[in-house]
Amino acid sequence: MKLFSSNAGYFFKEVKTMIRLNLFSNSLTIFSTGLIFFILAMIISGWWVSSRVVDVVQKEAEINVYLDDEILKNNTAVIQMVESIKGIEGVQAARVVDQDEAYNRMVEILGKEASVLSKFDDNPFSSFVELKINLQEIDPVLEKLTHLVGVEHVRDNREVLERLRNIAEALRVVGILVVAAVGISTTVIISHIIRLGISNNKEQINTLRLLGAPELFIAFPFLLEGLLLTIGGGILAVSLATFSISYLYVQMAGPLPFIPLPPVKELVFGMGIVVMSLSAVLGFVGSLLGLVSVNNH
Amino acid sequence: MIKAKGVSLRFPNGTVAINNIDLQVEPGDMVYVIGPSGSGKTSLLKLFMGIEYPTIGSLEVLGQQMDKGQTSRIRQLRTSIGPVFQEFKLIKGRTVAENVMLGMRFLDLPQGQLKENAHDALAKVGLEHKASSLVENLSWGESQRVAIARAVARKPLLILADEPTGNLDKDNAINILELFKSFIDQKTSVIITTHATHLIDTEKHCKLIQMNKGTLSWERLG
Repeated sequence: MKLFSSNAGYFFKEVKTMIRLNLFSNSLTIFSTGLIFFILAMIISGWWVSSRVVDVVQKEAEINVYLDDEILKNNTAVIQMVESIKGIEGVQAARVVDQDEAYNRMVEILGKEASVLSKFDDNPFSSFVELKINLQEIDPVLEKLTHLVGVEHVRDNREVLERLRNIAEALRVVGILVVAAVGISTTVIISHIIRLGISNNKEQINTLRLLGAPELFIAFPFLLEGLLLTIGGGILAVSLATFSISYLYVQMAGPLPFIPLPPVKELVFGMGIVVMSLSAVLGFVGSLLGLVSVNNH
Repeated sequence: MIKAKGVSLRFPNGTVAINNIDLQVEPGDMVYVIGPSGSGKTSLLKLFMGIEYPTIGSLEVLGQQMDKGQTSRIRQLRTSIGPVFQEFKLIKGRTVAENVMLGMRFLDLPQGQLKENAHDALAKVGLEHKASSLVENLSWGESQRVAIARAVARKPLLILADEPTGNLDKDNAINILELFKSFIDQKTSVIITTHATHLIDTEKHCKLIQMNKGTLSWERLG
């Protein structure tokens, strides 16, 4: 351990010299691993966002029950209907959303585009009963609701939820495949770079061996080089991904304000931690493989 | 320090580089190895450094048996040897001081000691003013002196120098030999291969070994 702590400055200086002496190929390595990690960062972010959306939608699983016009005309009947619905197992809450509230909600959702509603002479929205339910019990709740007298139509967001779940699952699978692909390609690139570095520094390595330097002392700068190259690639990827995510958030915030995106800072921080940790691990593994493969030949 | 008994070195192509030599070097000995090119001088040093292993016979260097099965111990042994290679083996892209210090970095020396040893060694070979120069900008003679500084800076128990004066003018060659001789008092043994027989002295503790076609044909105490 003392060997490394007392020579830390030397090791970093050696890495700097090695990178400087092969600046072009090392820059290309940082750039290519950076691009690979960028793809990974975007997939991870997409996966994260979709999971978050599914979570939020799941928590807010709701059913809208539209009642017959005859019942809507009678306030007492509406109250009785709401009470009947509340009595169904799995229903957590039920309340009437009147026409004005339905209108105001749409104004909020549409934001700047809400002016389109002024084209209507009358309020185009109907009153309905809004239900908060336990998502696991959506099927029996729907079954009971459709059999209630006075219910004209039931609208649920199960289909949307299923689609979101499918997207999240697809992104998860793609994410796993991309992580595997990134892992393999980064390891191969770094191990080749290390092999190249060892080959370029063959004489130096031979001299150190003749001077009695331990193998670990000789190998450490190469290990550090691989690690720094992938961390460099990771930093490049995180920077690019941060810029891209911020841009996409701005683009989505206008036309799709109702999508429950996670806070951008939280997303970038999480993605950054994952990508940087992965780049460090892959850099270490790639360098180690490069060193082992050279030692075996 | 070095005990060789019936040592031969035969290369895979059948060439016999060293043929059945017996040799003993004591602590504080100064040994000059002379002989024509191809006589086996460099091969002898390679055996002492563990770069080659005896095909026949027994060789012990600083108490370490030199055979193929002992590579990690031989690596450790090399930290006690100060080698000066014929082709210098300096690391390009690094300064003179960095090259000299490189030979000591793994010797468990404090950082201050490392710098002091390097500075002293460079001063002894007259190159302290070149400490910050890159080695590729040096002349052959200067490179040779850097290689010598690297070998002596780590204060080895055994110095193995292959033609250390080959690229030096007479004054510098004499200075280098004097530098090597200064280690004798510290019980460091010095083995030098050379063609410069006119620079060899026959003081006390000096041995002269004449090599010819792999055989050690002559040995004389000074």
